[in-house]
Amino acid sequence: MTRYAMAIDQRRCVGCHSCTVACRTWNDLPMDIIYNPVLGGVVEGEWPNVHRNYVPTLCMHCKNPECVPCCPTGASQQDEDGVVWVDYKKCMGCKVCVNACPYGMRDTSHTVRRFDEYVRKCTFCKERREMEPDKDPYCVQTCHQKARIFGDIDDPNSAISRLINRSDTFRLLEELGTDPQIYYIPALGGKR
Amino acid sequence: MDMKKYQDENAKIEFKHRYWGFQIAIYLFLGGLGGGILFLNWIATAFLFPTADLTQAIMLPNFIALLAIVLGLFFLVEELGQPPVFYRAYVTATSIIKWGAVLLTIASVGDLLWLLGNWSPAVPILGWVSVFNFVGFGNGVWLAAAGLAGFGIMVYTGVMLSTLKAHAFWSTPALPVLFTISALSTACAGIMLSLGGWPGVGADMHAAHELHELLHLCDIVLVIAEITVLLIMVLSFLGAGNRTQQRVAKRWVKGSYAPTFWIGMILCGLVIPLICNISGNPAAATVASILVLCGGCLLRFLCVWSDDRQPLPDENRYYFRLKTDDPRFMTEWYKEGKDLERGQTWAPKENLF
Repeated sequence: MTRYAMAIDQRRCVGCHSCTVACRTWNDLPMDIIYNPVLGGVVEGEWPNVHRNYVPTLCMHCKNPECVPCCPTGASQQDEDGVVWVDYKKCMGCKVCVNACPYGMRDTSHTVRRFDEYVRKCTFCKERREMEPDKDPYCVQTCHQKARIFGDIDDPNSAISRLINRSDTFRLLEELGTDPQIYYIPALGGKR
Repeated sequence: MDMKKYQDENAKIEFKHRYWGFQIAIYLFLGGLGGGILFLNWIATAFLFPTADLTQAIMLPNFIALLAIVLGLFFLVEELGQPPVFYRAYVTATSIIKWGAVLLTIASVGDLLWLLGNWSPAVPILGWVSVFNFVGFGNGVWLAAAGLAGFGIMVYTGVMLSTLKAHAFWSTPALPVLFTISALSTACAGIMLSLGGWPGVGADMHAAHELHELLHLCDIVLVIAEITVLLIMVLSFLGAGNRTQQRVAKRWVKGSYAPTFWIGMILCGLVIPLICNISGNPAAATVASILVLCGGCLLRFLCVWSDDRQPLPDENRYYFRLKTDDPRFMTEWYKEGKDLERGQTWAPKENLF
């Protein structure tokens, strides 16, 4: 069965924020919403092995998402391929899912008209992939360093499977048991 | 600015991720208060004084409970991003919010039917509303339904927060216990303040007096229990919690919340009411009840505002890049966002930066 995931290669990320800008453009986001902030940028390591380490983030599309079962309207959903998304027609903006997400990757905009707030989040560009199945999410397509790799993690021949299998990876806040599906390949030759 | 100074400034910033406003704190307080009153009144009439006629005595407390729940629901709905579609909350079976909505509905409808059923005999001047007596055939049933739902609400308010594992300070079994004790304590205070206050005749005043004494005793025990649970929870977080819990507990014990916590909640909301209640002076007991209510409300505010979550690597630095200390910049920033939403053409203003 298809199970979408993303690998983020920190060895390649240069912190250009292209993915952030691309996402904001494609999804036409309000000013105060960012689906995929590029965190970090702090110099790590000791001379001569120093590195400016960036942590591009986005919704982790967890296997055990906290944000789906807590939704009182059923707007917050997870597809069989693992993509977590919000049905805007069902959302009433109670923000329980926003509070439930340990990664802070959901938000409502404060700039929209009152009574028109709904929760927004990254969907791995679900609508775009439905229209054009061969296309990757926009942030992946935009990344000129090829630091973002998207694909079916259940397919042993996919690029993401092969990359994750041969690399040392880590996931954010893994200890919470949400089983996040964003895998990070650490910089500094695999040393974290 | 040199790098060291820049990093020091960022290290001072406490990561905030507040999505729920004051409305949720008020809702949790009023829900707990209303639910607690209904639960205690049901216990009193059904089990403690089954032969006494306490109907007139508990009319006002039950009316206040209805007001509290309805007002709490108003704040809850007002806080929604899309209030007109609040009915969607009743849809899914798995969500705890859905169970909260159902419990609040049962409690308010049960209480309303009980009030309508007893309205006419309790207020002779409004005898014309005896048409409502048709709902009076099952007064015990209505109050039982409201009381049981009220118990559920008391527990639910704490459980709802504690299920949100992202927030380290909420995600603890102690929080539902604390909220339930606080709800019972504030309910005791609310009933004591309003018991027998409804105009009319026919109450068993001897039983009402006994109920008042019993609640007075209960409130003393509950306040002691609340102080104990609250201090154990906060101090154990401070000493043995994870980094996020320690950060929040530090804010409560010796940080920005310390005056509110120690003076507002512990001293004025719990210790002074305890002393007043133990003194036995009726005037002091009235003051104690008012202070207990204020302390319960403060507890909800402090808890809702302690919604820190474990930050991702260097997340503080990212979100605090905005120049929040520049009011003009921030005003323009949000104004441009609104203009965009209205479909207006965006153009950077001169002298903005």
